[in-house]
Amino acid sequence: MARMKFLCDADRCIECNACVTACKNEHDVPWGINRRRVVTINDGKPGERSVSMACMHCTDAPCAAVCPVNCFYTTADGVVLHSKDLCIGCGYCFYACPFGAPQYPRVGNFGSRGKMDKCTFCAGGPEADSTSAEYVKYGSNRLAEGKLPLCAEMCSTKSLLAGDGDIIAQIYKERVSKRGYGSGAWGWKTAYKETIAT
Amino acid sequence: MAEFLAHVRYFVGALALLAVIAVATPSVAQAPGQVNPTAQSVKEDQLFQQLNRLDGRVTIPDARSAVLIQPAGQSWREFHQSTLLWIAGISIVGMVVLLTVFYLVRGVVKLSSGKAGRTILRFNGFERFIHWMTATTFIILAISGLNLTFGKNLLLPLIGPEAFTAFSQWGKYAHNYLSFPFAIGVFFIFIMWIKDNIPNSVDVEWIKQGGGIVGKKHPPAYRFNAGQKIVYWIVVLGGVAVAISGYLLMFPFYGTGIAGMQLAQIIHGIVGVLMIAAMLAHIYIGTIGMEGAFDAMGSGEVDVNWAKEHHKLWVDEEMGKTGSTRARMTPAE
Amino acid sequence: MLIKRTEREARRGSLTAAFADKSGGFDRRTFLKRSGLAAGGLAALGSLQLGSVQRAEAGSPVAAGAKITTTKAICTHCSVGCTVIAEVSNGVWIGQEPGWDSPINRGSHCAKGAAVRELVHGDRRLKYPMKLEGGQWKRVSWETAINEIGDKLQKIRATNGSDSVYWLGSAKSSNEGAYLNRKLAAYWGTNNVDHQARICHSTTVAGVANTWGYGAMTNSYNDIREAKTVVIMGGNPAEAHPVSLQHLLEGKEEKKQNFIVIEPRLTRTAAHANEFVRIRSGTDIPIIWGLLHHIFANGWEDKQFIQQRVYGMDEVRKECAKWTPEEVERVTGVPGEQLKRVAEKFAKERPATLVWCMGATQHTVGTANVRAFCTLLLATGNAGQGVGNGANIFRGHCNVQGATDLGLDIVTLPLYYGLVEGAWRHWSRVWETDFAWLQGQFTDPKMMNVAGIPSTRWYEATLAPKEQVAQKDNLKAMMIFGHGGNTVTRIPKAAEGVEKLELLVVADPHPTSWVTMGNRKDNTYLLPIATQFECSGSRTASNRSIQWYDAVVKPIFESKDDLEVLYLLAKKLGFEDKMFKNIKVTNNLPLAEDVLREINRGGFSTGYCGQSPERLKAHMANQDKFHLVTLRAEKNVPEVGGDFYGLPWPCWGTPDLKHPGTHRLYNITTHVMEGGGTFRARFGVERVIKTKVMEDGKEVEKEEKHNLLAEGVASVGSDLKDGYPEFNYGVLKKLGWDKDLTDAERATIERIGGGPEKSDGVSWATDLSGGIQRVCLQVHGVMHYGNAKARVVAFGLPDALPVHREPIYTPRPDLVAKYPTLPDVKAQFRVPNIGFSIQKEAVDKGIAKQFPLINTSGRLVEYEGGGEETRSNKWLAELQQDSFIEINPADASDRGIKDGQWVWVTGAEGAKAKVKALVTERVGKGTTWMPFHFAGWFQGVDERNKYPKGTDPIVLGESVNTITTYGYDPVTGMQEPKSTLCQVAAA
Repeated sequence: MARMKFLCDADRCIECNACVTACKNEHDVPWGINRRRVVTINDGKPGERSVSMACMHCTDAPCAAVCPVNCFYTTADGVVLHSKDLCIGCGYCFYACPFGAPQYPRVGNFGSRGKMDKCTFCAGGPEADSTSAEYVKYGSNRLAEGKLPLCAEMCSTKSLLAGDGDIIAQIYKERVSKRGYGSGAWGWKTAYKETIAT
Repeated sequence: MAEFLAHVRYFVGALALLAVIAVATPSVAQAPGQVNPTAQSVKEDQLFQQLNRLDGRVTIPDARSAVLIQPAGQSWREFHQSTLLWIAGISIVGMVVLLTVFYLVRGVVKLSSGKAGRTILRFNGFERFIHWMTATTFIILAISGLNLTFGKNLLLPLIGPEAFTAFSQWGKYAHNYLSFPFAIGVFFIFIMWIKDNIPNSVDVEWIKQGGGIVGKKHPPAYRFNAGQKIVYWIVVLGGVAVAISGYLLMFPFYGTGIAGMQLAQIIHGIVGVLMIAAMLAHIYIGTIGMEGAFDAMGSGEVDVNWAKEHHKLWVDEEMGKTGSTRARMTPAE
Repeated sequence: MLIKRTEREARRGSLTAAFADKSGGFDRRTFLKRSGLAAGGLAALGSLQLGSVQRAEAGSPVAAGAKITTTKAICTHCSVGCTVIAEVSNGVWIGQEPGWDSPINRGSHCAKGAAVRELVHGDRRLKYPMKLEGGQWKRVSWETAINEIGDKLQKIRATNGSDSVYWLGSAKSSNEGAYLNRKLAAYWGTNNVDHQARICHSTTVAGVANTWGYGAMTNSYNDIREAKTVVIMGGNPAEAHPVSLQHLLEGKEEKKQNFIVIEPRLTRTAAHANEFVRIRSGTDIPIIWGLLHHIFANGWEDKQFIQQRVYGMDEVRKECAKWTPEEVERVTGVPGEQLKRVAEKFAKERPATLVWCMGATQHTVGTANVRAFCTLLLATGNAGQGVGNGANIFRGHCNVQGATDLGLDIVTLPLYYGLVEGAWRHWSRVWETDFAWLQGQFTDPKMMNVAGIPSTRWYEATLAPKEQVAQKDNLKAMMIFGHGGNTVTRIPKAAEGVEKLELLVVADPHPTSWVTMGNRKDNTYLLPIATQFECSGSRTASNRSIQWYDAVVKPIFESKDDLEVLYLLAKKLGFEDKMFKNIKVTNNLPLAEDVLREINRGGFSTGYCGQSPERLKAHMANQDKFHLVTLRAEKNVPEVGGDFYGLPWPCWGTPDLKHPGTHRLYNITTHVMEGGGTFRARFGVERVIKTKVMEDGKEVEKEEKHNLLAEGVASVGSDLKDGYPEFNYGVLKKLGWDKDLTDAERATIERIGGGPEKSDGVSWATDLSGGIQRVCLQVHGVMHYGNAKARVVAFGLPDALPVHREPIYTPRPDLVAKYPTLPDVKAQFRVPNIGFSIQKEAVDKGIAKQFPLINTSGRLVEYEGGGEETRSNKWLAELQQDSFIEINPADASDRGIKDGQWVWVTGAEGAKAKVKALVTERVGKGTTWMPFHFAGWFQGVDERNKYPKGTDPIVLGESVNTITTYGYDPVTGMQEPKSTLCQVAAA
């Protein structure tokens, strides 16, 4: 079974935010919830790089480890998903997540957290695939339709790669060897405890 | 302190990064001719060597999203999944064991002079209301809090995920909302009893004698003995610590960033479990551990003999007072 | 433990199943209702319970059992022309999928393209026609609106003349819409018709066309992959054309390109460059002459190419000699060493291409800049020689190229025929409308041949005393079809102009910033126009490829297609029979295909003649057949074999000729029937220069003749091996090639000429049979428009040779004496141009001391143009919530300004803007930068209440053009928003 991963080639990313709006579009993600975002390091200086970041679907995911109600699970594809029926909005996963992926709708009068929302790798949630129950809670389930996450599919410069970890690592390796430089697979060490040797 | 250290770390890291950039790129302003934006690409490894998290710029007006990667989450996970469990386990289980052993060895601390039949008002209605408000909310907060730490290992297997989530969800609401009466309680406890809880020389003697718990003698004490003062200060200081750290967690990103929230959670967890352990002792001594102690918070009236045994100096003070205090000493009948 | 195995099988259309269990489901009507026509819909959905599961907003409403259909549309945001795959169910657009097959975007989008679905949700769209009555917005019916507007127009025509009405069209309408808009203005009787190209690439079009023939990108985004050296000067495609970066970055990686960015800012594009040259804004010509100085000094120029195909390079050589590295550094701030390095790469590591955008064009010297750029390309032999070279000009709006081509322009009828009588006669033949009738539509028939007022200066024609406006009367009415108000400089003046108008009509999907300008109380109409996702038609991308698209959904709410509104207006004005004589109209909606066929019939000058709707539709259906780099389909492919994608114009002859389109302009390395070409013989056969010299004590007039035709070179497979002039029937006859014409072709030519003997003057551009083109191309392999030299000395223009001129408001008053702007002109496009006086006054008053910071402006990736549409899109608006100014940390700390705080920016003409500070090293010290998409705040005042209720964009902010200043290019009337001065202070 393929192990799904994200990889942002920072030497290609131009901070166009297509991944962000593609995500909003595909899942009708409400204002204030940013399942994906683009961060620019060294803004305005030589060496500036932008990186698109969302849930990395970690191996041994910290969110799952710290969740007090065990609402996380990892699919056979290595996608880390959670159940909004079980989530209580405690915020622990946000403290533990190295990538700032968990998002919480604001509910109530004092900004307390609602049920956590995050990138699903376009793979929905625990409900049956591609049902409306799944859609309203998690957005659409592209993986079940044989498609990859829309953010990567629509990336303007093919910077954001999503799919089988081995394949995207291979693509990245080839790119780096062809162009002779690469700023690394951001977050891979943290998420997957591995790097792409280039 | 830890936060301060963290800031220092960031600062030093930032300086280091600036230094690296300064070395790597001959100043833009001085020699625009030399600018090659891709000559050195920023590498994750290299940045991590200088900083313990990666920050950048985002267009959304949401400061938290500017943090790209924060490996500190891993340390927090380590704390939450291991350190906290050990601290909680040792302190709470340890306390229960300790109290059990103590009970078996020492038994109930009896009134050595028997009941006098006359009572003296130790806590008035308001004081008792505040105490019980704080106490009950504390117990609920403690249970719901412990549930978040231990529930998934202890309770979840028993009742299943749906019921456990329902329980935890209500626990979360309770924890959030009851924090307010608890914090108010702590505040009143602080101002109501502060004048009787300033440590003094009597406390030294009391502690030297082990509070009389270990012998038969009762070292004298004013209204609160040193043991009670310790509980007082645990409640006040611990209460303030859990309240502040708790509110920082409850209102995410008001005044703290992710690092601050992690620190707040660490404080909240450690102080919380230590307080639970301390309160177990408090509950023990106020109930089954000592004859006549419960009345103080029950009816508010304690037997004069009990008072004399445990709070000699206070009774003397009260007796020495004129008028109304004396009048309150009525037959127990 | 929860576990879910993902079944990995394709289940397209399973979303239908997904919603099958949803009781009720939404149909199109309920959906629209929920989207805002009926109150309370979304608000009810929006309220959330404490801790409840967040319901994905609005969801993808699909009724039970509904079928999902897929439509291919084209993104409506920029000129790249990305394919959008829309999934539609029950009349509602429910999903977007990547369009993998398009060779232009291969599935990719930018933030805007990935969010286009929101446009037809229309939460904040204008929902029905409205008018302002006593300062209050009131809903009216279409019938009332058209009737009242028509009556008012007729009244203005009667009182003030036909030139008092301004028709401002749009670069976002289809080719058909733009064409009909221009045609409507012609039938109304005015040349006051313009669109966004004025403020974007008008100077490019003028500059490039005056150099080698046509005003467009010579190659394509895809072709840049083939270059060895890419120089981007005055452009930030990473934000303005993000998907183009896919081609640029892949090319950079695969070809190890030199990727050089010349800019005042370290933009997101510059961050990917391997050489960044930071210049002072407004010093492009010194940079180019500085580069050429090194090139000539070291003999790096392409001597053979210059000798064969370039006219006037010796004069350039003389001018460049003046631009020593020291002088260049003094003026631009760029050291000689760096320019030498860039020059060497550009000249020696070929093919090299030059990419430019608004940074080059939006200046008082815009046209001269562009000509200097072309000169650099020509000197190094990087133009017209096959792959990977050329002027890759990235156009702005999604159809700005098409709208320019189709004549939404004050200086020409459709397809660059100009305004001369011959042009009017050509089009009256195509339209089958009597020339005399058209002439009669002009209150003053002489004005038929006089260029109109540029869109940058319309308000001057409204505000100035009548005698200063070179037409019968002031402007009294603005008919605005899809054009923002905040993209034009000097908003405070424009707002005064808006107040003075007798009629303001804004036809747009959104109310736009026009409603916030000035304080109008009456005589203002808003007409809801459908976005192009609700219409069918064709649009021309930056690389001249024309793409046909189908409507994704029907126009939402009461919106109407542009074409329908233009028809209704024509009907009200009483000439719909004439204007739509050859166009089928059903229920007031003209058939887009028929409009395109009419364009084909008249579009010979620019090669818009071969792209029939049928051919274009076949291209869209066969996108996957076209090669990523060559853009060409294999010859054996059915329907589109051998074609270039989108039949990039010129696609010569009638559709039957099957010309493949022209991927690379002026490319002599290819046969003309395979998309090859030559430089156009547009400026005559020779240039005669008369000089007076003293000879033996007597003044003698000497004549010097310069050959303007190519020398000893022609395109591959040409029967003529040397330069040759453009063809007409007479030339054809002289060569004996007229025998190759068919009888029908000959008959048409002779009908146009008015008889066999009078037809020698019928040219390749006015021959409606396409016969001359066919014979030249197909039979003899020659280019009918001639084979000439490109000219770097554009005799006839204000500066025949580009020379440096300081911006009107320059930070370097010390340079004004040596490099002043051009003298004042009393009437330039019907209004005065007093740039010289203003520059002098600014120097005298020491403006540069009071306003020490250069202010330049540009685009954000999330927004586009005036920004109303994108700022109303919740997915985009969330990403940029405040207008801001970029300021260097040094300048910020001098002023005590912190990142993110509010500041006042004061422009050199005194207007103020309140924006947030973005302290960044993107801008150098002494330079600031602002995006231009914001509107709705004016000098610190939030004017949200001026929008009709429910149509205000989510994000409002201060426009940079509140503080921009005077300055106009003499050739096109281009404004100068890229180089002005300002001061910044903490608010």
